[in-house]
Amino acid sequence: MMTYIVFILSVIFVVSFVGFSSKPSPIYGGLVLIVSGGVGCGIIMNFGGSFLGLMVFLIYLGGMLVVFGYTTAMATEQYPEVWVSNTTVMGVFLLGLLMEVMLVLYVLKSEEVGVVFEFSGVGDWAIYDTGDSGVFSEEIMGVAALYSYGAWVVIVTGWSLLVGVLVILEVTRGD
Amino acid sequence: MNPLIFTTILMTVLLGTMIVMMSSHWLMIWIGFEMNLLAIIPILMKKYNPRTMEASTKYFLTQATASMLLMMAIIINLMHSGQWTITKVFNPTASIIMTSALAMKLGLTPFHFWVPEVTQGISLTSGLILLTWQKLAPMSILYQISPSINLNILLTMAVLSILVGGWGGLNQTQLRKIMAYSSIAHMGWMTAVLVYNPTLTMLNMLIYIMMTLTMFMLFIHSSSTTTLSLSHTWNKTPLITTLILITLLSMGGLPPLSGFMPKWMIIQELTKNSSIILPTLMAIMALLNLYFYMRLTYSTSLTMFPSTNNMKMKWQFETKRITLLPPLIVMSSLLLPLTPMLSILD
Repeated sequence: MMTYIVFILSVIFVVSFVGFSSKPSPIYGGLVLIVSGGVGCGIIMNFGGSFLGLMVFLIYLGGMLVVFGYTTAMATEQYPEVWVSNTTVMGVFLLGLLMEVMLVLYVLKSEEVGVVFEFSGVGDWAIYDTGDSGVFSEEIMGVAALYSYGAWVVIVTGWSLLVGVLVILEVTRGD
Repeated sequence: MNPLIFTTILMTVLLGTMIVMMSSHWLMIWIGFEMNLLAIIPILMKKYNPRTMEASTKYFLTQATASMLLMMAIIINLMHSGQWTITKVFNPTASIIMTSALAMKLGLTPFHFWVPEVTQGISLTSGLILLTWQKLAPMSILYQISPSINLNILLTMAVLSILVGGWGGLNQTQLRKIMAYSSIAHMGWMTAVLVYNPTLTMLNMLIYIMMTLTMFMLFIHSSSTTTLSLSHTWNKTPLITTLILITLLSMGGLPPLSGFMPKWMIIQELTKNSSIILPTLMAIMALLNLYFYMRLTYSTSLTMFPSTNNMKMKWQFETKRITLLPPLIVMSSLLLPLTPMLSILD
């Protein structure tokens, strides 16, 4: 199973994306986002990016999603929409699931069955080799480079985030 | 708005455009565009009524879509060239997507639909910033990738913009919508010559910004947003009425005013490159623009527009003092004799 772990995690990733794109109430969207964040972390870790995966858990799930969950809980309605409560939401979810099942079957079984529509191959998007030298991990070096060579990027993104907060406060303040 | 917050946000708009214009890494350019977009939203929403909120939302949605397209073009460029510097775009697909994204940001046809609606929904000063400063950043990127832009797409968009800018402005009485359609047409003129001689694009941008700045300041001085209220300026400040006449004729591209200079140079450059039908068509379509500028001057400076009698005897309150207005008016009408100086540009 370990050889197929990235494939399995990617399938769960896509299914959870379908889960929140079919637009249930934001509370349930956040729930599925937790699952997709965790699974995405697993995918990155399988390519050697342990630091980035832990960043996802810590900052994305543990910081941003927690704040999102609290604010949504304050603003939610009495009976929020689940996937099965609304026909449209359930229809979109089932359609997405169906498309994912078809894609998985195509990937697994395209030799045994006659295929009508063929993709031209993954091409440049497939990663065969992570490209690191094996001596040090490239992603940790990248984080170190962000704070040394990329100081200007840190300044600009930090300023953008601060201005983002100011803008949101200004827009929602009203008169 | 709190003055400190307002200053910070205004400075961030400037910083965003500066980052776009001075970066050599595609990602920083994208960050600059996003910073610019984020910071201009509260400036567009200075008054809190539903109209400004709707205009800001429309602006945000279209510009965010354009930024997403830009990011996609950047990533396709990265995939095919392996590097992030801005020299030229190495892949035709990425080039087309990037041109479309920057056209959406500028308001070129077929992505022009947001310009009149957003300009109409916001105050005059915000509309001024929107139509002048916000055009600088996308135009600088177009300038930098101009060697690799697909000519067919760019020229189609330019010519259609001139047509739409002229034709769409014909039925308008609201001044902000007139300025919006004028902006669409001028962007069309600027992008038409981009592939042949990008220096003329920058010249046109400079003169367009001066003229638009002048027009908006004249409107702000007389606090008028419709043709009807503009036609009362003869009663309040007759000098402004004359200056409106001169500036509008300059925007229409009439010699001997400075608005003629970019059009003349662009038509000359296009004919030097053996295209004759195209500049003829462009010049003819600029007549549509001239028509609605003439209609504005006719109702404002040349005749007394029909109004009720109490409008003809207005009480004179304290007039606004706009310090920059006289130099701008001089520059936007009297620069034509300086045309031989253009030989110092590359």
